[in-house]
Amino acid sequence: MTDTFERLRARLHRDFGMPLASLVPEATLESLEVDSLRMIELLFGIEEEFGLSTQEDADHNQLRQRLRTLADLASYIDELRQAKAAG
Amino acid sequence: MKPVAITGLGVVSPLGAGANVFFDALLAGRSGIVRLERPFSARLSTRVAAPAPFDATSSFPAPKLRMLDRVSQLALVAAAEAIAQSQGALQSADPRRAGVSMGVAIGGPEASDEGYRTLYQDGSDRIKPFSVLMAMTNAPASWMGMDHGLQGPNLTYSTACSSSAVAIGEAARRIARGEVDVMLAGGAEAPLTLGTIKAWEALKTLAMEDARDPSASCKPFSRNRSGLVLGEGAAVVVLEDAARARQRGATILAELVGYGCCTDTAHITRPSVAGQAHAMKLALEDAELPPGDIGYINAHGTGTAANDSVETAAIREVFGPRADATPVSSTKSMHGHLLGAAGALEFVAAVLTLVRETLPPTMHLEEPDPECDLDYVPGRSRPAPGMTAALSNSFAFGGTNAVLVARRPVPSGA
Repeated sequence: MTDTFERLRARLHRDFGMPLASLVPEATLESLEVDSLRMIELLFGIEEEFGLSTQEDADHNQLRQRLRTLADLASYIDELRQAKAAG
Repeated sequence: MKPVAITGLGVVSPLGAGANVFFDALLAGRSGIVRLERPFSARLSTRVAAPAPFDATSSFPAPKLRMLDRVSQLALVAAAEAIAQSQGALQSADPRRAGVSMGVAIGGPEASDEGYRTLYQDGSDRIKPFSVLMAMTNAPASWMGMDHGLQGPNLTYSTACSSSAVAIGEAARRIARGEVDVMLAGGAEAPLTLGTIKAWEALKTLAMEDARDPSASCKPFSRNRSGLVLGEGAAVVVLEDAARARQRGATILAELVGYGCCTDTAHITRPSVAGQAHAMKLALEDAELPPGDIGYINAHGTGTAANDSVETAAIREVFGPRADATPVSSTKSMHGHLLGAAGALEFVAAVLTLVRETLPPTMHLEEPDPECDLDYVPGRSRPAPGMTAALSNSFAFGGTNAVLVARRPVPSGA
């Protein structure tokens, strides 16, 4: 979905004060200092922003392994949005 | 107890932020008690409270603010002031011999109230992710320790209204025993939420609003007193090994020389003369001071029917013939009852009586109560040149009594 990345970017900027210039697709979450706690907050924000639930992916460690960059995060959101649209 | 140096004071109170701002307001007899303006105010039977006029958003970046209940915000601001005044107490310390000791009775009720509202009122299952971290009682102490890298003991005492007097006394003991060199000690409380105020209302201990002047609703020792007024804030002191403080050339504001702690076991709320008197005696013995050396008592003085007459009798029992010559005041008449933070805030007031040699009054003492017959410094502050020591009383639901004694610093080499 075309607007996902831009909305994600705006949300990260708003919630965490991350500079927009640093919010590029290849930026790693590590470089953005997203630690385990911030990841929880970030997913909470994503749920709110996109009206989704990440509860099914309860294994946060696995999710963190999988989501290394903002591009990974955006595709994860797309997956959830598509699954939701498919009902 | 081996004297412990007090080298910094920090306050966020209903009378403003800053230890001296707070004490100046006390000396002026100004009250921070107001009709509370909150979205839920109309649901309160008793609207008077003592909020701290303090904008948290300006003190912390937004991502950090989202992790801090108001109780932690207040604590961190008070701690920063105390640390700054100490002029390097922490920088010069071995971080493993520096710690935190805080008194918190309730914790972070804004966070828990909001969580409950989400769950039970809104019917949503989405509780904010940091609710646990915000509401936990030890959050203020933990943030203080993390922000300043203090790796010694990080302790939170919860003994209701004596919590922070206990926190300060226990911290001083650790320093006096040589276990640590420096401690940030104090208390914080932010109880002005609908849930907390309603719970206190239910206990029938809150003061009725004074119809003519809401700011005069807390009337300790007065015959027409009707209860306590809830307040919010934080107070923190820097406690240091006295020799170390002198060695680094710090200004020692006062020395903490006595701490007495004991427990009433007769009743969960009703105070006992014997218990309060015993705590004062323990503190004086610990300080190795006779009652005649105490130039001021900051009373627990809640403004409830039960406390004020019992405390008066307890002071008479301990001070004997000296009781009439010992000024006692309840500053709660101006800042309300800060619960877990009360002992620390009032200890700061007691320390500043030594620094400024002036005693804050008991305000709104309109009609003398025959059972409250001490010198309560009514209505107006009073000079106290040359006073040498001050005592601060804190008594609690649950029965934990804690008394602190501060003394003017003894000059080096004396």
